Amino acid sequence: MKNIFKIAMLSSVALLTLGAAASAKETVVWWDFLSGGDGVRMKALIEQFNAEHADTIEIQPTTLEWGTPFYTKVQTSAAIGEGPDVMTYHLSRVPLGVESGALAQIATEDLAGVGLSADTFPAANWEAGQSDGAQYAVPFDIHSIILYYNKDKLAEAGLLGEDGKPTGLDGAENFMAALEKLKANSEIPLSVQTSGDGTPWRVFYSLLGQQDGVFLGEDGTFFPDETIPKAVAAVETMASWVEAGYAPALTEYENSVALFTSGESALHLNGVWEVPTMTDLAAKGELGFEWGAIAIPTFFDHPATWADSHGFAIPNNVGKEVSAEKKAAVLEVISWFNKNSLAWSDAGHIPAFTPVRDSEEFKTKEPNATYSILADTAVFDPKSTLAGVASPVYDAVANYIAPAMNGEMTAQEAIDEMKADLQDQAD
Amino acid sequence: MIRNHRREIGIAYLLILPFVLTYGILFLWPTLQMVYLSFTDAPLIGPGNWIGLENYVEMFDDRRFWTAVRNTAYFVALTVIPNTLIGLAIAMMVSRLKGWQQSIILAMFFLPYILPVSVVYRIWNWMFNVQFGILQYPISAIAGESINVFRTQWMFMPAVALVTIWWTCGFNILLFLAGLRSISPDIYEAASLDNASRWTIFRRITWPLIWPVTALVLTIQLILQLKIFDQVYLFVQGGRPDPSMVMVQYIYSVAFQKNQGGYGATISVALFVIVIVFSVLQFQVLRARGEK
Amino acid sequence: MSVAESRTTALADDTTARGRITKGLDIGGLILTLITVIFAVLWAFPLYWGIVTSLKPESQVISKTVEFLPRTWTIDAYWSAFVNTMIGRWYLNSLVTSVGVTILTLLISATTAYALSQLRFPGRKVIYYMILASFMVPIAALIVNHFILMAQFGLINSWLGVIFPQLIHPVVIIVYKNFFDSVPKEFREAAKMDSASEWRIFSRIYLPMNWGITTALAIVTFIGAWNNFLWPFLAVSRPEMMNVAVGITQVNDAFGVAYARELAAAILAALLVAVLYLIFQRRVTQAIMLSAGVKG
Repeated sequence: MKNIFKIAMLSSVALLTLGAAASAKETVVWWDFLSGGDGVRMKALIEQFNAEHADTIEIQPTTLEWGTPFYTKVQTSAAIGEGPDVMTYHLSRVPLGVESGALAQIATEDLAGVGLSADTFPAANWEAGQSDGAQYAVPFDIHSIILYYNKDKLAEAGLLGEDGKPTGLDGAENFMAALEKLKANSEIPLSVQTSGDGTPWRVFYSLLGQQDGVFLGEDGTFFPDETIPKAVAAVETMASWVEAGYAPALTEYENSVALFTSGESALHLNGVWEVPTMTDLAAKGELGFEWGAIAIPTFFDHPATWADSHGFAIPNNVGKEVSAEKKAAVLEVISWFNKNSLAWSDAGHIPAFTPVRDSEEFKTKEPNATYSILADTAVFDPKSTLAGVASPVYDAVANYIAPAMNGEMTAQEAIDEMKADLQDQAD
Repeated sequence: MIRNHRREIGIAYLLILPFVLTYGILFLWPTLQMVYLSFTDAPLIGPGNWIGLENYVEMFDDRRFWTAVRNTAYFVALTVIPNTLIGLAIAMMVSRLKGWQQSIILAMFFLPYILPVSVVYRIWNWMFNVQFGILQYPISAIAGESINVFRTQWMFMPAVALVTIWWTCGFNILLFLAGLRSISPDIYEAASLDNASRWTIFRRITWPLIWPVTALVLTIQLILQLKIFDQVYLFVQGGRPDPSMVMVQYIYSVAFQKNQGGYGATISVALFVIVIVFSVLQFQVLRARGEK
Repeated sequence: MSVAESRTTALADDTTARGRITKGLDIGGLILTLITVIFAVLWAFPLYWGIVTSLKPESQVISKTVEFLPRTWTIDAYWSAFVNTMIGRWYLNSLVTSVGVTILTLLISATTAYALSQLRFPGRKVIYYMILASFMVPIAALIVNHFILMAQFGLINSWLGVIFPQLIHPVVIIVYKNFFDSVPKEFREAAKMDSASEWRIFSRIYLPMNWGITTALAIVTFIGAWNNFLWPFLAVSRPEMMNVAVGITQVNDAFGVAYARELAAAILAALLVAVLYLIFQRRVTQAIMLSAGVKG
């Protein structure tokens, strides 16, 4: 009897200590909105993290729908303390996130302690994660739009230079001429999303940036007077592609991708996140042609490309105290992912962490290397509570710029109404 | 007698207790809160400051609000009566059959109703897909070219209405079937002996006798379609949201997207008032017709 | 019950009765039946097309030719949904919450409708108007309030938290009251003369007489709860507590062309209910017929 009792005691003590040791592992609840080709890459990264931190930290990830559903969820959950421990966040949303009280401030000393600071990120990028001088998000990648091209078709039309890269595309008129040449082998030479928000915004903002147009003035005016003609010029350029039949009218995102991957269109303007789609299709032998990607052409005065940034943010979980261990674990997560962001560049993105971006491996990585020059001339979304993913600005693009692309209203009308609309909502 | 009546009251209260509890907490209280919020500038979650009628004034000046009201009215006109009549017609067609034939045919009409809106959306969006959709074949045969139906402004609402009717008619068919079954076949026998035509039978017998169910369906439909959200929200994604926005969609956009809880509550109150007004109006109209 | 029996037989004969309108071959009737069948086929086509598309490989989905049957049958699209998600757990959550909502709603609604229909008590009108009012308020307006309430009760991320707000289902009460109203008064009066208690009258007469509509309402309520998206989406943040409608929005494993996969995921969400309906469909139709028969 006594023996059994002793064994029971010993085993329970053993179990308890084991249990205690096991629960010394910190769990980090992680929310992201990354599905699609880059989502697959992110899941792989998370698995790698968990493997490397098998005894200390475990990330428990959940993927929610991109856009308004994600941000609504974050806000409502944070308000009752049920938000995650860390989440991916578009830096363009930081102003709205801070205003709605959904984001918790991150102390710069804490970040410095894990090797992250203003020196380790491009200036504009680091700043995009701030509000009123305080840091609310840490950059992870810079993603932008690029020009995908069908090598075979471009070669046929004589548009490939000696280095095998496209040439003769810079300048709005040259670009039109190139599209005309491509008409010979593509019914729709340029596939681009012409309905809804997303790509229309990104292209418009790039073209505006190429003319040094200012979308949102310091005083809070949308489209200050000097900018209006530049904005109109940008929209007119985009509309001219559709009008001449080079780009498909009223085409949504998925269809625009399908037009390129099915081999119909020679060119495709889209975000870097479709790089894994092309890579995967090519690897499976389902692409049917050789593809490449370069930074978007300079249509106007100088190169500039829209860019946004995925970052990490910590929700402001009302009523929930964050323990020191949890905070350390979250910081470790953010730091590890940044240091290992080379693997993330497989998803087409450009790592924000400067040491990785400057590394040999990244500098030779294709197709990223070809277009990562855009990081130098990237123009980030305007800092406003009306801007960012799934915001009134995005809606305004769907309501005015996209219809203007399809000839449903003139470029001037579009800009005038967009300005009136946004200004109205700002007051 | 009085003791019996008191017992009756007691039992009645017992019977409605669960209802009172549930609706009190989950309906009455939130609705009162909603009315209160409409006078504040509160964000989505959290308190705000009292601003009196400011939200209401803003709403009357709000171009988007009136667009939403118009679009909602348009959608109601496109769906309520057609959905009811089609439901009746299908129920009558189905009730003519018997046995396993009836089961199969009924299932074919009813199955859409069991689908979540996401399935309905994906199927119809796919069928209308401008590049690969199967409906583009008949469309281009008639119009000469493929048409992106959900992106062509004047076609958007009618198309969404069509999908809505396809999806929700099943409920109406059920109600009508139950109602049709309750019409005594003796009446039909008598009519057939008088050599009455199908149309006359319908007009003189079926229609008047089924009127209570028709009125019920019309009422339910009116209120349901005034609150329409899911389909319009889904089908407009990737397109131009503003011109076709309906009221609940606008509430969602204001409250969840722009984080304006107070203003969202104001629009909700407006919608509530509209629904009440129209329901009462329709009720009077239906009652007058019923007495004919 | 023999009344019902004779009615049912009469119903079966009703086609013949109306068919005798024109002597000999009932051309009109045949045409009507033909139209019915064609219409039904057209009506069901979208469903068929959705299923067929989900069974094709993506490359064939966007092929230029129309293929009513897949050239290559594949369950790749479904497989990716099963493998990449916790769909089993979601099915469980959906089942529990939907059944919970259905039973509780029917219980609350039937008792309330009966009281409204057959009993007189002060506040009756108020209750009735409250029900009508609840029907008219858009859910989107109340949903945030429900969220805060459930949070205060600590019910977020729980089955009960998902069930509770869905109990506001005024249509069920309205329909029940309608059907209770049309039960002939004689039944109640006879029962009262036998000194039956209200509960007995309710459970032995009114409820069984309206079994058909109860079944119909149960189906409708269950479907509504199963397919509900907005509330379960807000009320649940942990993936293991999601229901199917919410969970499948997480099934996107590639940008770009994913038509078959999207359809497959969506169809999976609807599959259980569809199968259940098809199995019990005859029972449902019979129930409706029976209830209508007794109502006379």
